[in-house]
Amino acid sequence: MSADTMERSERLRILNYETPAESDWETGLHPMDDLLRGERLPHIWCQGCGLGTALTSFISSLKWLEKNQGWDLDKVAVVSGIGCTGRIAGYLRLDSFHTTHGRAIPFATGLKIANPELKVIVISGDGDITGIGGNHLIHAARRNLGITVICVNNFIYGMTGGQVGPTTPHEARAVTAQYGNYEFPFNLPYLAAASGASFVARWTVLHARQLDWTLRKALIHSGFSFVEIIAPCSTAYARWNPEGKGLDPENLRRRGLEVMKHYQKVGKTEQGIHPKDAHIKVNDSGEVIEIIEGEFLDETRPDFEEAINQRAKIAEKYWLGEKDALDKRKKLPPKKGKVPRTEIQLGGFGGQGIMSAGKIIGMAASVYNNLEACFTQSYGPEARGGAAGSQVVISSTAIHHPHLTQPTSMIMMSQGAYDKYIAELLPGGVLLIDDELVDLPAEHREDIKIFGISATKIAKDAGNNRAANTAMLGFWAAVEGIVDKEAMQESIAESVPPKTVSLNLDVFESGYKRGLDLVKK
Amino acid sequence: MSKDKGRLAGEHFMLGDHACAEGAILAGCRFFAGYPITPATEIAERMSVRLPQVDGHYLQMEDELASMNAILGASWAGVKSMTATSGPGFSLMMENLGLGIMLETPCVVVNVQRGGPSTGLPTLVGQQDMMQAKWGSHGDYEIIALSPGSPQELFDLTIRAFNLSEKYRTPVLVMTDAEVGHMTEKVVIPPLEEVEILNRPQIQKGDVEPDHFRIYRDSPDGDPGYVSPMVKAGEGYRIHVTGLTHDERGYPAMNAEASERNVSRLMEKITANRNDIIELETDKLRNAEVVVVSYGISARTSLWPIEQAREEGIKVGYLRLITVWPFPEDTISKLATKVSAFVVPEINMGQITREVERCAAGNAQVFGVHKPGGDILDPGDVLDTIRKAAAVTQKN
Repeated sequence: MSADTMERSERLRILNYETPAESDWETGLHPMDDLLRGERLPHIWCQGCGLGTALTSFISSLKWLEKNQGWDLDKVAVVSGIGCTGRIAGYLRLDSFHTTHGRAIPFATGLKIANPELKVIVISGDGDITGIGGNHLIHAARRNLGITVICVNNFIYGMTGGQVGPTTPHEARAVTAQYGNYEFPFNLPYLAAASGASFVARWTVLHARQLDWTLRKALIHSGFSFVEIIAPCSTAYARWNPEGKGLDPENLRRRGLEVMKHYQKVGKTEQGIHPKDAHIKVNDSGEVIEIIEGEFLDETRPDFEEAINQRAKIAEKYWLGEKDALDKRKKLPPKKGKVPRTEIQLGGFGGQGIMSAGKIIGMAASVYNNLEACFTQSYGPEARGGAAGSQVVISSTAIHHPHLTQPTSMIMMSQGAYDKYIAELLPGGVLLIDDELVDLPAEHREDIKIFGISATKIAKDAGNNRAANTAMLGFWAAVEGIVDKEAMQESIAESVPPKTVSLNLDVFESGYKRGLDLVKK
Repeated sequence: MSKDKGRLAGEHFMLGDHACAEGAILAGCRFFAGYPITPATEIAERMSVRLPQVDGHYLQMEDELASMNAILGASWAGVKSMTATSGPGFSLMMENLGLGIMLETPCVVVNVQRGGPSTGLPTLVGQQDMMQAKWGSHGDYEIIALSPGSPQELFDLTIRAFNLSEKYRTPVLVMTDAEVGHMTEKVVIPPLEEVEILNRPQIQKGDVEPDHFRIYRDSPDGDPGYVSPMVKAGEGYRIHVTGLTHDERGYPAMNAEASERNVSRLMEKITANRNDIIELETDKLRNAEVVVVSYGISARTSLWPIEQAREEGIKVGYLRLITVWPFPEDTISKLATKVSAFVVPEINMGQITREVERCAAGNAQVFGVHKPGGDILDPGDVLDTIRKAAAVTQKN
């Protein structure tokens, strides 16, 4: 029995699972109990890690928003990628999504756009967001998507043991940069701002109050907000770098705290400074000696959702036009008599409407004459300008093979197309040409039926030489008689631009008459 | 929103790719994220025009990694979602297809296959991603993949793909190809009332005490085919889901027992429901000496040579895999004891051929008709192979 066949009451009964024993954790003693998944604690982070503090600041700001701005925290969704910071989602008692490495932002994009009611926050590490997921960061910022990205930067790939990353300071050390980092790091606020983020800030974790305030603003912000939090890695980074030098590796909590204090100490608040100048300065041994912090950018710009919604009205108008045309469509009687498998090759040069002509035949046959029809066209570089070819197969019975095997008819509107295709025409087949564009060589095939018409001239005389293909269609309809005239007329009327319908039908009529005359002869 | 807003019906002379988009819209898809790639681009183009007309959203993402993740996010927001791509993009989607499977997320991924490997033949047909569809993402899992042979069937199977994905809470693949995607034929769009549309089993706000809710609840009756109800974000259940191996609550569980439970659950909900999922088309299997097993465009183009062979007096049966994955192992195994040979035409160097060989287990000979992309199969090659297979039959 699958769930959809199950009675709803039965489903609910099953889901009302025994009371989870873990709910004992909720003691009410800690003010953040209700936003933490206590049953998942203790967390996996090392002692002295900055992530606990970052998490606390985030929860404080959410609680403030709940209390002072009426936020419904049921409508908050947190998305993380992979890594130490990526685990934050799993400890928060909110709708939380622990995705793949680097992909939190596109996942969040889907959540937010599909349900704009949600407040979507991405919390992940520097490697996740700016290394493997860097492309998503710049594009979400470019769109000014209404989410908040909190990037906890510990200068390193921590969970995997301390490898160099896109934020590791120049000359700093890592497991994979033991001779000193020869790369140069991103300036994340500058990157985010340049990409289009409309709110950009940076604090170290020990600026807990400032961080709390900034996060409130970032979360309320209507466009893309980006907050970088500098947090020490008490193990993988501290053990390699001057910040952790001389600190007891056995006492991680102390080592982490000392490094945190160092970052706080070298922090320099420069509110509103151009993000370009929001540098993290290091000395020759890779020690961080200055961190510019503060809120660098807070602009009001139309966010992504607004921009999308502005298009909805245009879309509706567009749809009503299409619907109108479909509603007006005539129902014609099916084609009388059996049509054997007929293979038509159309050829010409780009711009003559070779594709449209093939499609018009196919639509006339299938939609209006209830025959089977299959239209294919040649793609590839040859389809841009130069030679153009399209194919239609028509039959009363199912078309198993969609390609032409040996064309029974050809409609040729250029010398090049004629030269290319003529050898393939079935003996006894029908060749229709625009006789001003195709010169039959003195020795041409005698085993086929050839009909010529000045299609381009007919179209030009009617006022638009681009309708030459329609003249050829009229000509073809009369000569071959495979598809009813009225079906062709309806198909043309449905396919050409509305303003050119009557001109095209006139041109079709001229071609048709000329075809009938020739056939009678 | 009015129920009929933007609703298309009736007969159309329609491009295969466009038919796919229309099928998705009829099935209730209201979110598409994609990246342009030949020959799947026209699906995105159609969606970009049509989705805003039905209050849906089209997003052109920065790459296929993002596209795949965006549709997962949208699905967790409660909206049916889809992406469409071709070989190179399909490769990029593999990691997060795995995430979709692991999180048990309904969504549809369309692969309009072109010739590969690598950039290969962007505009030309191939069926070379069939094994990638089965095994492309890392780890053990089961996948559902459907294979249409015409624009009409691409339309129909896109609807079925959504229904299966909703019913079984899993990504479903529509493995079509450049030939079908770029072919224009008549497509009949029925009125909504005449189409079966399934929606995911879902819990809403207030249905269950949030603390007691299990997002990956196992069947209380030990039914391996059970699919636990989903809840979308924002309903107050404060769910957690993770790509890590997890328990019933969705919490990480890092041990072999948890993995056994988690992986079995993902596989068994497909295998235990295989009779519902597997759809085959058969013709003249009774008394057949040779059976042509094929799918998609190659099955369609085999019909002509099959007719020819029958006219020559060869007893040819026809088995079309509308559902390619899960593979109809039992059907092929049983047939293998009754027929002398299988002929497997496909536009690759022998992917499903190998699967048929595995199931035939030596009880019947297997002849592939292969080409590595670039064109549909030559009916003459298929006919010759049927004749060759029939000759073996007579020798026996």
